[in-house]
Amino acid sequence: MNIHTTPQRTPAETALIDAFSDRLSLLPGDGTVMLKRDDAIEAIKSGLPTRRIESWHYTDLRRLLNAVPDFDPAAAAKAIAPIVEGSVILPVLNGVSSAKVPVIDGVIVQRLSEKLTDGSIAPGLDPYGTDDAIGALNTAFVADGYFVDIADGAELDKPVELQNLQAGGQTHVRLAVRVGAGAKAVIVERQTGEGAALVSSVSQLLLDEGADVTWLIVQEQPDTATHLAQFKAHLGKNSKLTLFVMNAGGKLVRQEIVVKTTGEGADFTLRGINLLAGDTHTDVTMVLDHAVPHTASTEVIRNVVTGRARGVFQGRINVHQYAQKTNAKMACNTLLLSDDGEFSTKPELEIFADDVVCGHGATVTEIDHSHLFYLMARGIDEKSARGLLVKAFVAEVIEELDDEAIVEALETRLDGWFATHG
Amino acid sequence: MPAVQDTIDRVRKIDVDQYKYGFQTEIAMDKAPKGLSEDIIRFISAKKDEPSWMLEWRLEAYRRWVTLDEPKWARVHYPKIDFQDLYYYAAPKSTPGPTSLSDVDPELLRVYEKLGIPLKEQEILAGVQKTDVSEFEEASDNVYKSGRVAVDAVFDSVSVVTTFKKELAQAGVIFCSISEAIREHPELVKKYLGSVVPTSDNFYATLNSAVFTDGSFVFVPKGVRCPMELSTYFRMNEKNTGQFERTLIIAEEGAYVSYLEGCTAPQRDENQLHAAVVELIALDDAEIKYSTVQNWYPGDAEGKGGIYNFVTKRGDCRGDRSKISWTQVETGSAITWKYPSCILRGDDSSGEFYSIAVSNGYQQVDSGTKMIHLGKNTSSRIISKGIAAGFSQNTYRGQVSAHRKATNARNFTNCDSLLIGDQCGAHTVPYMEAKNATAQFEHEATTSKISEDQKFYVMQRGIPEEEAIALIVNGFVKDVIQQLPMEFAVEAQKLIGISLEGSVG
Amino acid sequence: MLEIRNLHARIVDDGTEIIRGLNLTVKAGEVAAIMGPNGSGKSTLSYILAGREDYEVTEGEILYNGQSILEMDPAERATAGIFLAFQYPMEIPGVATMEFLKVAMNEQRKARGEEPLKIPEFLKRVKDAAALLDMDMAMLKRPLNVGFSGGEKKRAEILQMKLLEPKLCVLDETDSGLDIDALKIVSEGVNALRAPDRAIVIITHYQRLLQYIVPDSVHVLYRGQVVKSGDKSLALDLEANGYAGVIGQAA
Repeated sequence: MNIHTTPQRTPAETALIDAFSDRLSLLPGDGTVMLKRDDAIEAIKSGLPTRRIESWHYTDLRRLLNAVPDFDPAAAAKAIAPIVEGSVILPVLNGVSSAKVPVIDGVIVQRLSEKLTDGSIAPGLDPYGTDDAIGALNTAFVADGYFVDIADGAELDKPVELQNLQAGGQTHVRLAVRVGAGAKAVIVERQTGEGAALVSSVSQLLLDEGADVTWLIVQEQPDTATHLAQFKAHLGKNSKLTLFVMNAGGKLVRQEIVVKTTGEGADFTLRGINLLAGDTHTDVTMVLDHAVPHTASTEVIRNVVTGRARGVFQGRINVHQYAQKTNAKMACNTLLLSDDGEFSTKPELEIFADDVVCGHGATVTEIDHSHLFYLMARGIDEKSARGLLVKAFVAEVIEELDDEAIVEALETRLDGWFATHG
Repeated sequence: MPAVQDTIDRVRKIDVDQYKYGFQTEIAMDKAPKGLSEDIIRFISAKKDEPSWMLEWRLEAYRRWVTLDEPKWARVHYPKIDFQDLYYYAAPKSTPGPTSLSDVDPELLRVYEKLGIPLKEQEILAGVQKTDVSEFEEASDNVYKSGRVAVDAVFDSVSVVTTFKKELAQAGVIFCSISEAIREHPELVKKYLGSVVPTSDNFYATLNSAVFTDGSFVFVPKGVRCPMELSTYFRMNEKNTGQFERTLIIAEEGAYVSYLEGCTAPQRDENQLHAAVVELIALDDAEIKYSTVQNWYPGDAEGKGGIYNFVTKRGDCRGDRSKISWTQVETGSAITWKYPSCILRGDDSSGEFYSIAVSNGYQQVDSGTKMIHLGKNTSSRIISKGIAAGFSQNTYRGQVSAHRKATNARNFTNCDSLLIGDQCGAHTVPYMEAKNATAQFEHEATTSKISEDQKFYVMQRGIPEEEAIALIVNGFVKDVIQQLPMEFAVEAQKLIGISLEGSVG
Repeated sequence: MLEIRNLHARIVDDGTEIIRGLNLTVKAGEVAAIMGPNGSGKSTLSYILAGREDYEVTEGEILYNGQSILEMDPAERATAGIFLAFQYPMEIPGVATMEFLKVAMNEQRKARGEEPLKIPEFLKRVKDAAALLDMDMAMLKRPLNVGFSGGEKKRAEILQMKLLEPKLCVLDETDSGLDIDALKIVSEGVNALRAPDRAIVIITHYQRLLQYIVPDSVHVLYRGQVVKSGDKSLALDLEANGYAGVIGQAA
């Protein structure tokens, strides 16, 4: 958070602080949780981050967050079909989890409100840094969500889809998942709805030794919603996480990804697609800590910018002093398709170990004219040819995921976006 | 097989404080009292016999400066600087204004001789001796086949001598100290000074605007190719002295100039402050090449002493098809805070930044560039090579931005870091901002260590470890070294070797 | 000149023992061939002779002119006269081959207490040596081994060997990747270096190279030991009958 005293509170800051006093009596939590909520609102009182805070350089939250809706008790969101047929659905509607949780072999599902009430989730509510505004907002207001515990050795044959659906107002949700040693799972995080909402959503993932997880974040908020999300993961020894993030909606979106390798042999893959349209602002910020030796990561982010959209990707790879033999590679490629679109990239390497191989690449380009010409020479009109090339640019990232059902599901989402924005 | 411990220990003892240029010169100095106030600024201005507009300009900057805070965003850490505990003016007593070398204090000349500066014209006329290496180099694109270099030497705060003045004047080139330019060419100074780096630009630039004492001034008129390399050597000698030089280079339509800057300072326990401002202006079809070899004293093996180098360098490609190229070899200073930039304002203008930053001991480097694309069809190229050894921290920070109207902006950035040892850090912080759909930006960065295979191969040919590392590092930075004029290239390679001494172990 | 006694060595990283009690003596003036199947420890032996830190000698001794070299680093061994022609010469970007040759040659001279070479003399030596190996001087202006073909790299190794005038030459699979013409040229280059005060150790998998550089002795390496020694006829025998026979006797 901004450590400088801010001269005057913005309407949004005031609204949040007022909402906290109003909501306080309704928020679940034992003494420890309530203390953490107090700390969090104090952080918000000292001001939302501005561009002077390095990690918020391109997303001046204080300036951009110009309105905060009230909580809307009448909002009525409904569960939707999962992206992969047959998935187990865990819905959070208007910020409230379902009282009736499905039974899955080898999995314990709990409502997060219970974990708040008994205080067992309290350690996870701490901010990860002084600039953790999303963490603070969520900790202050979070009322529900799920806690999912996948037993050691369990191999889920169907994806689990966590649906966070809003219908306006404010929702603050937390999704916490622990995956036991050697367990294997596909988890889908859906973030969508239809209201002019303020959503904060924090996902926490803990991978035990040898766990293998594919986690898909599919964010398709309407262009009236502010979506502030965080994904935090710790990767244990020899564990493997493939994180896929797709942003295809929202008015003001910030998706933070905070990953730490805590066990040797851990392997992290990030694949991201940002499809930006209209007069929107989307920021994906990743902080990856290679904290132990012999871990690997690759990140590929592809962005398509249309309309008056502004996009941001910040990726920081920290290689700690003892994290020798780290192998880390990051790439961020952007297609800027409109004169009024913008994209800013800041791929950072912070390296304190010498026996490493790290690199990053970034490009901002137009559509390759020779490719366009080739397609047109085969009789495809310019609009279709452009569409094909742009889609191919992002689809490449999806096709790398070697699960047919998932690839198909994501391509359907992609087609949906291109049908309305292409 | 593990190296013999004894060898490791011996190598460790050869440390960074064996600073080659760490001698001090006993010369009578003329100093202003310590501290900074409007009176001091009046004193400096009076000492330099400046017109009143210049004094006003300085005072305005000073009044602005007192309202500013030091910037904190760079990745460097140092104790707070007491700006009232510095001398802002120190000049060798024999000045001002020597008209020929014979007027200069012989002691001062001996200093420059020790530094290896080709100050005496006859030496220069004899041509700079070609070194062996050059025999095998590809033909250099160096246009100055004669190897002649005109030198402006700045000692602490004051320019003591400028060579080749007459010959340059015949070509229409003005090359003199900025103090002289303020007196002799006020219309040019008034027009261009502060037009690239405004007095309000940043904390250090504003301080510099208030207190700058000397520096170089270059004016190359329309259509003139400057007939020789121009060069300035800066040397900080006096204790607790800040050095605030100001350089202003103007290349009019179609003009060309290549300018070299070298720096040294003696070894001291205290940290000395250096806050220069360099402004370059290139009009239509003009080209300016600016090269720096910076080896200010870096501090001793424990990180004590050394220069704080907070420099603002900016070039304005004001005219169409103009070109500005920065090349820097940074091996010195305890702290380096420096981002030579190009504002690509003219259509079809281009900017280049070639950099080698070597850090060892406890040095901290936060350096890079800014390429601001404003005009149409502008292009920029950034090649940065960072080498971190010892306990040093070496950060590349660079910004490339294409503004809304900058159609067809092109940038290529390559930044590679090399780590020697596991106690140092190498960091890369590029900012890419595209606001135009026709922009094409490409950025690539790598960080790695010297390959054991390469080192073994070189040592197998009988080359000791430290030299093997220097050899491989010099290969790593070759792309940048090639951008330097020949005399500087050889010096730069040697410097890199010297500054990496003691990095093995 | 070279005497290896009961040498045991392992990989530092994982402790795998590669050399297991190897004995070998090579006299001045001798050309010794070391042959063996893949994985027998041939290349490891060449690295250990040159002092690579990835291997640790756990037992035994390597004597060079009667002195142990185990405590010497690679550069000290090289200036003492041990030269390794690499199987895979390293590419070193940015370092011009000529500059590298000059630095390396002058290190040899420094070790002998001689003055650095004058440029014209240096150039003459390089030109003469390059001509013998049918090498283009233009190639030597390029960065060391960067963009060289496999054959060019091997020639460059022999060129370095000629110029550095070592006393003990170790050639590691110098024939691999060479076509027949290049093989002849390289072999002639090596043969020209045969001298009464110089020993040459040729490490090879095939007998092919030995048709051009005829060895005085042939040693078969298997599982980190010399299992059989003989004269040049042993190489022909191996070529005709394979390693199985020899190894079988040893096992």
